[in-house]
Amino acid sequence: MQRNRPPSAQTINVLRALAADAALWRYGYDLATEVQLKSGSLYPILVRLADRGLLETSWEAGQGSRPPRHLYRLTVTGREYVAALIAARAGKTVPRPRNRLSEA
Amino acid sequence: MLIIPALLLCIGVALFRRSANAVVEGPKADAPLRLLRWAAGLLSAQRHEWGQAMLGELHQIEGRGRRWRFTIGCVGAALLLPPWGRAGAGVLAMLAVAMGSLGVYVSVITRHRLGAGSWIGVAIVSIFLLSLILAAVPLLRRPGVAVPGLLGGLFVALAWIALSGVTFVNFIVSRWAGWAIPLLMIVVPAVVGVVGTLWGGSAVAGRRIARLAAFSAGLGVYLYGTVAVAVIGAGGPPDDSGFTVSYIIGDRLGNNVGFYLVALPVVTATFGWAAAAATAGVRPQLANADVVPLTAAGGGELVPYAVGPVTPARTDPRTRRVVLQCAVVAVAVLLAAATLLAG
Repeated sequence: MQRNRPPSAQTINVLRALAADAALWRYGYDLATEVQLKSGSLYPILVRLADRGLLETSWEAGQGSRPPRHLYRLTVTGREYVAALIAARAGKTVPRPRNRLSEA
Repeated sequence: MLIIPALLLCIGVALFRRSANAVVEGPKADAPLRLLRWAAGLLSAQRHEWGQAMLGELHQIEGRGRRWRFTIGCVGAALLLPPWGRAGAGVLAMLAVAMGSLGVYVSVITRHRLGAGSWIGVAIVSIFLLSLILAAVPLLRRPGVAVPGLLGGLFVALAWIALSGVTFVNFIVSRWAGWAIPLLMIVVPAVVGVVGTLWGGSAVAGRRIARLAAFSAGLGVYLYGTVAVAVIGAGGPPDDSGFTVSYIIGDRLGNNVGFYLVALPVVTATFGWAAAAATAGVRPQLANADVVPLTAAGGGELVPYAVGPVTPARTDPRTRRVVLQCAVVAVAVLLAAATLLAG
C-alpha cells in the first residue's frame, strides 16, 4: 500500500508547471527543463501523480522513424488539488490526494 | 581440459545467435538509446508505458551530453521504480544468503585468529558478494525471470551439493568423481538454459534466467562452502602436518571465493547462455520472441524495440508440464546417482 505523504518541493514545482496552462499537453523533457529536474527525479514524480489520478497521459503519434511521445496534463482532480495546495500552503496545511493506485 | 574449449565454443554459439537477433533491433542506436532500451525492459508490465515514454523522449533530445544525462537519470528511475513484486523478495533472499556467508566467514577468521591480513579478505569477499547481487538485481526486475532464475539457481546449487555426496569434507577437498565436473559445469547449466528458454518463451528470457541462476547458485554454493570450512576447520585431508591450521583454513576460504563466487557463476552463465541460444536455434519461433512493438495509443505506426516482454511469453501448459517433469526426473536421477556414489 502506497503512503499518502505530503508532496515534495520538486513535486510541487512540477504541479505548478503543469497548472500554469492546465489544458496544455506537456512533454516530459520540456517539463524537466522548465522545473530544472533530472529525468531520474521527474519520471518517478509523474508516475506517482498518474497513480494518484492527478495526471492524465496521452500519446502523440510518431513521425517518420521517431517513436510516439508521451504527453501529460493535470486531470480535473489534479487541478483542484493544485488549487487546494496553493490555498492550503498559505494556511500551512497540505491536502493529501486520494490514492488511486488500486483502481489503476 | 574439456571445460575450456567447451566454454569457448559456447561463447561463440551465443555470440553468433545474439548477432543474428541484433538485426531486428530497429533503427540505428547510439549508446544512450541502447542503454535506455535495456533499462526500459526492467520495468514491470504495469510500468511498461513509462519505459516507452522515456524512449520516445530520448529520440527528441539532441547533443551527446544531454542524451547521456537524460538516459542516466531514466536508468536510475527504471531501476528503482516500484512495484518490485517478486524481485524485491528475490533481492532480500540473495542479500540474506550473502550476509549469512559473510557472517560465517568473519566468525571463522575470528575463531581461528587468522590475523589482520584476513580482514582484507573480508573486504574482497564483500565486493564479490555485492557484485553478484548488483548483477542479479536487473535480472530479477525483468518480468518473468525472477522465479525461474532463482529456481534454476537452487537446482544448480543442489546439484553441486548432491554430487559432493552431501558431506562437508568431500566438498572442501574437492573430492569429485571424474564425470561429476563436466556434469556440473556443462550439463546442469545447459539444462537450466534449455528449461529457462522454454519457460520464458524466448532466447533472451532463457539467457537471463541462466544468468540469474548462475549468480544465485554462486551465492548459495559459496554459503555452503563457507559453512563447510566453519564446521571442518583444518580437518580432513591432507593428513600431513606440513601446513599450519591458519594456512589451511585461509587456503580453503580463498579457494571458495575463487571457485564459487567467480568460476561457478561464469561457467554456469556461459553454458546456460549458450544452451538458451541453441534452444532458440532448434525452435526458431523463440529466437525473436522478446521484441515488442512500440506503438502509439490507439494503434499507429509500429517501431520494433527490444525492450523486453510486456508480459512474459509462455509456452503452452502441456509443454511446460513436460519440461517440469523432465526437470524433476533430472533432479531425482542426480540425487540417486550422488547417493549411490557416496555409498
